[in-house]
Amino acid sequence: MPDEVPIAETTNAVPVAPAVSVYPEPAQDRHRRDALALTIAAAAWFLPGLGHALLKMWGRALVCFSTVALLVILGAGMRGNIFSRNGEDAFAKLGYVADLGAGSFYFVAKALEPAGPDVSHANGDYGTRLLATAGVLNMLAALHAYEVARARKA
Amino acid sequence: MMHPHEFRLSHFQAMMTFALVISIAFGFLSRRGAYKRARYILWSFILFLLIGVGIGWAMYPFSH
Repeated sequence: MPDEVPIAETTNAVPVAPAVSVYPEPAQDRHRRDALALTIAAAAWFLPGLGHALLKMWGRALVCFSTVALLVILGAGMRGNIFSRNGEDAFAKLGYVADLGAGSFYFVAKALEPAGPDVSHANGDYGTRLLATAGVLNMLAALHAYEVARARKA
Repeated sequence: MMHPHEFRLSHFQAMMTFALVISIAFGFLSRRGAYKRARYILWSFILFLLIGVGIGWAMYPFSH
């Protein structure tokens, strides 16, 4: 009997299945999952936290909703600037995209600010940043929900 | 004149609020499990504050 026995001959263990399935996913299933993921992303954008709620990730849904809501309430309370569609320069247009990221909360922010923005003080400027942050954060959360729905993230 | 529904935060208060809210959101989105989330939130919050104050100090000479 030789001294060195090959490992394969010393064990009866069943080989571990590869992490990725060797069977390709049917195209129809993939399309359905992609469509569902897009719907979830749109829902997450429209109402912060809704995408994660649809995926039954309750903790994340609650945190997304409350953080975006808090930032919008603070930003509007500090009379930050809510950019409109007809911005004059590139920064105003970018600001509009960022603000619109908050979905329906964009209109909530407008409703919470009946006196309009006041950026003559630093306070209003901070409010503008908080409103933009709410939008960008919501877009990030929507992207996360989309990735989870496509089974790319846990 | 201050609007009745308006409230004011100092620069430091606004920075603290921003750092806390964003840290919590990042922690919940990027980590699983209470311990890992808490650790990430704390670490992220501290870094936000340190970097914010650091940038403030770095800009100080340009304001004079």
